[in-house]
Amino acid sequence: MATLTETAGRRRAAPALGDRIRRELRRSGPGYLFLLPWLIGFFVLTLGPTLASLYLSFTNYDLLTTPRWTGLGNYEYAFTQDERLGNALRVTFTYVLWSVPLKLAAALGLAMVLDRSVRAVGIYRATFYLPSLLGASVAIAVLWRQIFGGEGLVNQLLATVGIHGPAWVSHPSYALSTLVILAVWQFGSPMIIFLAGLRQIPQDLYEAASMEGASGWRQFWKITLPLLAPVIFFNLVLQTIEGFKAFTQAFIVSGGTGGPIDSTLFYSLYLYQEAFANFRMGYASALAWILLVIIAVFTAVAFGTSKYWVYYEDEGR
Amino acid sequence: MTRTFTRREFGGLVASTTAISALASTGAFAAGESVRLIWWGNPDRDKRTNDVIDLYMKQTGTEVVPETYGWNDYWQKLATQAAGRNLPDLIQMDYRYIFEYARRQQLAALDDYVGKTLELADFDPNQLASGKVDGHLYGISMGANSMTYVYDQAVLGKVGVELPDPTKWTNEDFEKIGMEVKDKLPDGMFFVQNMGSVEPRLETWMRQRGKALYTEDGTIGYEVEDLADFFTYWKDLQDKGLTPPADVQSQDADGKMETSMIVTGKSLFGFIHSNQLVANQKLMPDEINITMIPNLTGGQPGQYLKPSMLLSMAATSSDKDAAAALMNFFITNPDANKILQIERGVSGDASVREELITGLSPTEKMVIDYLDIVATSVGPLPPPPPKNAGELELALRPAWDAISFEQVTPADGAKKYYDDAVAILARA
Repeated sequence: MATLTETAGRRRAAPALGDRIRRELRRSGPGYLFLLPWLIGFFVLTLGPTLASLYLSFTNYDLLTTPRWTGLGNYEYAFTQDERLGNALRVTFTYVLWSVPLKLAAALGLAMVLDRSVRAVGIYRATFYLPSLLGASVAIAVLWRQIFGGEGLVNQLLATVGIHGPAWVSHPSYALSTLVILAVWQFGSPMIIFLAGLRQIPQDLYEAASMEGASGWRQFWKITLPLLAPVIFFNLVLQTIEGFKAFTQAFIVSGGTGGPIDSTLFYSLYLYQEAFANFRMGYASALAWILLVIIAVFTAVAFGTSKYWVYYEDEGR
Repeated sequence: MTRTFTRREFGGLVASTTAISALASTGAFAAGESVRLIWWGNPDRDKRTNDVIDLYMKQTGTEVVPETYGWNDYWQKLATQAAGRNLPDLIQMDYRYIFEYARRQQLAALDDYVGKTLELADFDPNQLASGKVDGHLYGISMGANSMTYVYDQAVLGKVGVELPDPTKWTNEDFEKIGMEVKDKLPDGMFFVQNMGSVEPRLETWMRQRGKALYTEDGTIGYEVEDLADFFTYWKDLQDKGLTPPADVQSQDADGKMETSMIVTGKSLFGFIHSNQLVANQKLMPDEINITMIPNLTGGQPGQYLKPSMLLSMAATSSDKDAAAALMNFFITNPDANKILQIERGVSGDASVREELITGLSPTEKMVIDYLDIVATSVGPLPPPPPKNAGELELALRPAWDAISFEQVTPADGAKKYYDDAVAILARA
């Protein structure tokens, strides 16, 4: 046990650097040690390949021989000559611009319905959430291709009322719509988040508004939406990013072709074709980085405009 | 209340965790002598190949690890494995791709094994030559085949049609028969699958005109007018109701035999290669038969005898001798070939052919008879396809779909595909 004089002496002198480091390591060293597996995984499996793909995007790499440096050649081709890239961008943007708003609208709508104490709300919640758990899987995509195929479930149902439907999944005008429906069907996960957000809105606000004579619609517009804005923002950014990255559904439903006539050529599917079907991994790496920039721009715009419409509780606005 | 570890306790914890995880990972390194084999196929081929593998494992005790995929996925999978320097020891190869892989040093040259582990004394020299790239042997042909029009014999009999001499019938004859029978066909069945996006059919079209898909120096071997005629012909057949409508036909996007128009009962005539007859028959209750591609009036023979597929060895194979032994088993062993029969094509090994002839089913005899007929009316083997040829085949589908869905005229569609093809071939 240190005597009083010793403690006083120690407090007066500044602790040496070595002591400080040693103290820090002792405190958080074990933490880093436990983090080590994840850190190794991050550097080796995520950061490393990301940097490698940045390097590869400046090369011609056919997967079988060593990469050859071409500088900005890939990017130049992408911006000036690649027609299919234009198709891919068009398809992906259309998909995102349709599926994200519809998905969020469905999520919010159903969250509001479930928010009123419905009997057995737990069962409804689980049922609506289930598609978003399974939806991104290969099995569901295969099923979707069947359901919307020439003799699939949808056409069989239409036939009972006498409508002869086309093969939705292999018709260039409708194939993308089936994928949008598949995306919107997975509204469960943003719905759960909206439910949590709705629960946080104080009920007395609604009561006060009702007493003042505000209609349900006005209450929604003036109370629910503004107070839910952070959650909407969160879901919007997340779903947009996911929409841009979509791959499995397009791959399975189009049989890997992005067809018919590139109508389901999602950006990541085009990237995959270039990398693995056409032996152009260097170009595909360039495409991957272009996608990163596109998503970053969207996210930045979302964050930038957020201060005009997203109100956080602790900002006293 | 947190418990602080003493240094000794902590060290012991880390050591034991490392030891346990090391134990768990030793399983992965336990592989002894084993040969990996990869092939593309269909359910029938998969079963036969697995039976041959079981036979080999029983006879020699070498472990064989199989991998199989559908045609579409196969090449992408192979490319990924090649990039990871993880190619299987034995690879089923296609004539179109063997040049790309061999020239990129992914395949092992087999010349040293010929006459020793690979007993090819009875092997047809022409067939053997088809596996040569730049003077070295990189693959052994697993069988010869040629293109065919496959048809449902039962339905054809029911509508009362007799097909003319296969070596002489023309596109006009084909269309005439189609117009006669199209209203007598069962519900939902059309006369012929639409072949606007089927590259082998395009190839015969060009060869019949004395041209080819590619020239020796790797450029396009035909003119845009030839392509426009091809697209116009098939669009015409579609408009006349002889082929399924665009959206029905494009359901066949993934190239699997199970979803082809003829197997799903949507067309009377389809396109397959001769060695696919047996597998195709297994998927259909009606009896099917094959005949030659209709000729161009006054044109040259469009078909040729091609190696249906080749068996190659990866350059990165760790045990080349074991791989060569398995290769020899597949190509020359009589018991193995009794299982494989002619599903991959008619073997180039004369002794194998002799053994097989007696045990063939009627369907298989059809294939042999067909190839005998074709052999009387063939052209020479085309030059090896250039780099990026695979991409041209892939690009044909959207090009044709744009025409069949009437987004562009056949002439415009042909011009666009032609320009794209020239650009693709010129691209590094």
